[in-house]
Amino acid sequence: MDEWNPNPAVKPHKKRSWYLAWKYKLMNQRALRKLCQTGAVLFLLVTVIVNIKLILDTRRAAYEEEEESAQDYDDELLNVEVARHPVSNKKVLDVEVYSSRSKVYVAVDETTVLEDEAREQGRGIHVIVLNQATGHVMAKRVFDTYSPHEDEAMVLFLNMVARGRILIFTIKDEGSFHLKDTAKNVLKSLGSQVAPFLSWRDMWTFVGKKGGEVYGEKHAKSPALSTWGDPVLLKTEVHLTSVEEAECHWPDTELNRRRKRFCSKVEGYGSVCSCRDPTPIEFNPDPLKDNKVFDVPVAVIAGNRPNYLYRMLRSLLSAQGVNPQMITVFIDGYYEEPMDVVELFGLSGIQHTPISIKNARVSQHYKASLTATFNLFPDAKFAVVLEEDLDISVDFFSFLSQSIHLLEEDESLYCISAWNDQGYEHTAEDPSLLYRVETMPGLGWVLRKSLYKDELEPKWPTPEKLWDWDMWMRMPEQRKGRECIIPDISRSYHFGIVGLNMNGYFHEAYFKKHKFNTVPNVQLKNVESLRKDAYETEIHRLLGEAEVLDHSKNPCEDSFVPDTEGRVYVMFIRMEQEADFTTWTQLAKCLHIWDLDVRGNHKGLWRLFRKKNHFLVVGVPASPYSAKKPSSVTPIYMEPPAKEEGAVA
Amino acid sequence: MQKINKNVVLALLSLTSLVFLLFQLYYYKFYLSQKNGAVLSKVRGGQSGQDSTRWHVVKKFLGLISSHNIPVYLIDPLILGLVDKDIEQIRSSPNGPSPECKYFCAPRDFTTFALLDKTWKHEVSLFRTAEKMGFQWLKIINKDPRLDGMDDLSGIEIPLHYIFKLASHAIHLVIFYERSGNYLWHGPLRLKQHTDRKFVPFRKLHFGRYPGAYEKPELLLVSIDDLKVQIPKNPSSFLEEMSHSRFLECRYREARAFFQLYPDDASLDAVEFRKKAKSLLHLAALTLNNLGVKFWLSSGTCLGWYRQCNVIPHSKDVDLGVFIEDYKADIIPAFQKAGLPLKHKFGKVEDSLELSFQGEDGVKLDIFFFYEEVDHIWNGGTQAKSGKKFKYLFPKFTLCWTEFVELKVHVPCETLQYVEANYGPDWKVPVKTWDWKSSPSNVQYNGVWPVDEWDDVIQIY
Repeated sequence: MDEWNPNPAVKPHKKRSWYLAWKYKLMNQRALRKLCQTGAVLFLLVTVIVNIKLILDTRRAAYEEEEESAQDYDDELLNVEVARHPVSNKKVLDVEVYSSRSKVYVAVDETTVLEDEAREQGRGIHVIVLNQATGHVMAKRVFDTYSPHEDEAMVLFLNMVARGRILIFTIKDEGSFHLKDTAKNVLKSLGSQVAPFLSWRDMWTFVGKKGGEVYGEKHAKSPALSTWGDPVLLKTEVHLTSVEEAECHWPDTELNRRRKRFCSKVEGYGSVCSCRDPTPIEFNPDPLKDNKVFDVPVAVIAGNRPNYLYRMLRSLLSAQGVNPQMITVFIDGYYEEPMDVVELFGLSGIQHTPISIKNARVSQHYKASLTATFNLFPDAKFAVVLEEDLDISVDFFSFLSQSIHLLEEDESLYCISAWNDQGYEHTAEDPSLLYRVETMPGLGWVLRKSLYKDELEPKWPTPEKLWDWDMWMRMPEQRKGRECIIPDISRSYHFGIVGLNMNGYFHEAYFKKHKFNTVPNVQLKNVESLRKDAYETEIHRLLGEAEVLDHSKNPCEDSFVPDTEGRVYVMFIRMEQEADFTTWTQLAKCLHIWDLDVRGNHKGLWRLFRKKNHFLVVGVPASPYSAKKPSSVTPIYMEPPAKEEGAVA
Repeated sequence: MQKINKNVVLALLSLTSLVFLLFQLYYYKFYLSQKNGAVLSKVRGGQSGQDSTRWHVVKKFLGLISSHNIPVYLIDPLILGLVDKDIEQIRSSPNGPSPECKYFCAPRDFTTFALLDKTWKHEVSLFRTAEKMGFQWLKIINKDPRLDGMDDLSGIEIPLHYIFKLASHAIHLVIFYERSGNYLWHGPLRLKQHTDRKFVPFRKLHFGRYPGAYEKPELLLVSIDDLKVQIPKNPSSFLEEMSHSRFLECRYREARAFFQLYPDDASLDAVEFRKKAKSLLHLAALTLNNLGVKFWLSSGTCLGWYRQCNVIPHSKDVDLGVFIEDYKADIIPAFQKAGLPLKHKFGKVEDSLELSFQGEDGVKLDIFFFYEEVDHIWNGGTQAKSGKKFKYLFPKFTLCWTEFVELKVHVPCETLQYVEANYGPDWKVPVKTWDWKSSPSNVQYNGVWPVDEWDDVIQIY
């Protein structure tokens, strides 16, 4: 406090006044009056000084307080919620919604929260969810209800939105063609009067509170099949509620604080934000006994698909033997919502400035993520690489724990992957069985640090090369004849429908019917036989016991394989040289397995299951196993369809 | 009448003023005591038991930490210095009660502990409990250097230091991170704009002026002054390490700018050379460290680190510097044993010593020995065919740790002067043709070896 002694010049003056007063008193009677005067002045002066001191001290104290709070602020900086758009303390929101053939927009309090006038994009019903207390945008979706099944997705989404939220709907171009009755009824239950009668190329806007009042609805009918309804503009007011009313009252725990932060920001995650019975965000799966992958870092590669990421992390954190501290989510771009999801689960996430475009961007993101992973965990010999659109099997870590020593010891291995490209519902059977394959499946795999640091990282494709990282990794210059270990039944499931190289049709054809292991604690069979030489012995043993199928039959037909179970069968196809996959591709096509390129082969041999029998396909004469072919058998040859036919199909 | 009036007015004025003043003083005292009451009372208490306050604060802190299962260890140089004197006794009786408070009561402002980042989960609850126990705490965060070298990751910030303050004593908790190169790193302590600069006397802290690099310590659980605490197994070697722990981060931003100007050579040859140079450097570091020979990155290797945070792909060898006092005769056999035969040896221990070893696939390892003079440091060069001697002069320097190709190695702390002495002011421009006899800007002609010594000072294998 001493340092705050104000204006030192005052002191001598004060002393002199006293001194003078004494002098006057002694010298003159009239001095008494002056003494009083001086005294008064003195008092006033002291008062002023004390006042100044008080003000200064109070200000300092206040400043200190400010600093303290500022420091708290520093500390919490990462968790501070950033308003998505400025919201005043006003109790009423002005909402404007526009629907037309080529443009939709939504403005809340004159802030545009949605604007879409891109050509050939954004067709269908746009939905925006606002927080009823703050007016923040919590979710934005578009459902292309012109196409099939999108209405189901919309129903699913609307059901997940919490009661009391404000919903805004607007149609761009066309939104009724595949809008089925179920969806129309859901819209009706939200208070829409027009929804049940929405028809071809109608324009429509609607604002309402879920489970509450309707704030407005406008509709313009299309006069004829070839024309659109007139644009509609709906202007309405929405009354905000108090924050307490908009929030759930969960017990105050660390987990619920995370949940609260998440639920006040975003919508569309269903029961995780349910007030009554929220779904857990901590899973505590059983630990694995003797877990060899507990200290292996897990890199989750993500983009801006927060709902996928949410589903993925749930399954990952539920897998036995998971170690959340080793998980890092790498987000390609400065997206908020994926980061919200990461924080909800209490994991660490890193955002990555996007560089380059499309495939090259993904490839650069992969590189940065892998480098960062090995930098953050310098002790790690391996890293598990996952993507945001994968479900993770409950025994994913158990599977890795049982097999990872092979990757450490067997130089001829490139990776361990959780995915079997040919493991469909009708072609995979044995959860304890592993294969060696010459292709790298990705989709949940383990990378050896030495492989990355010594070989891949230094020559990773640069941004200007627009390459797929996985295609690049499959190139012979990189793979150098090494193989990957895969399970018969995949330990991951690819559920992503929206993606760079992905669409609904593609997903349905190639991914939907993929088999996914749900059995916990599967004891893998004969892991040691996966080593380079042991595997050859194993294959020869298998081929030795295999029954040769009747090569006069059509291999595409079901009757090609006898109605047995648990037997081993072998067939021989024509394969002139190592890269001749003509017959294999046709066979794969008719068996409804992966036929877009060659996957899952090992020295001209494919292993899968048909009718619960192990089914081996050997390419003759390219495969070294051709010797097993009885001389009487002629390898099957299947011709690729003529070009025109292919185009029709 | 007028006079009386004046007097009355004056008296009244004085009275009011007095009352006002008293009120203000009262209010002032009241306000202050409310604000700083805790501190004031503690200062009063401190008079009688300043020593035991420190002990109590440490005890409380250790209680807090152990209740959250956080494995901290003591790195306070002051206390470790005291402990080191009695280390035999402490080791032999790990549980014995101590008669007096000898260590934790020693006068000081702080007690410093270390915490390995990966051994704890950043829990908010720790700080809640700390607050309940009366601690005020401060967290220093900064960018994660492990991600700093990467182009475009939005560097997440990590906690580097915590300070827990209670009464007149403070606990400084230094967070150590494991980094590539198998070492521990702690960050510098830099206050952000809004931090309370008077929270503790920051300048008196023992850690944080610079970042530091350490070996992973072996720990020992001991009981001193009736407190159970982990300490480095060998306090004196830890203290020795601490005195030379300063760490320099590579200049990643400048390196990126360099690569913008001169795009990196991504050819297969360059990739191959870098791989070989890296493994050669790892092997050399292992060999020299085993012998206990201190070395640093010199010449082209040092330039590569400083300019581009990587091996210069068109350089042909790996260059290391060693002070001649650290020379050991075992160096040559040790390298031979490691699979690096001697290629040539120039000079002698007394003058211009230089060793070259043949690495795999034509990559050469050069070790230059440095001689310290009053105002400069130099190393020598010898031309084999003519016996000419050269001298390379450097300003005096000290050694710092850094990380290079996943290795913790020394570089001159005053790197810029070092590099500039060697390569001149244009060191930023890559040069592909380099003549070691004329290109360096610090080279001096140093006479010729006498012919009768040639057999000794020019050995080529």
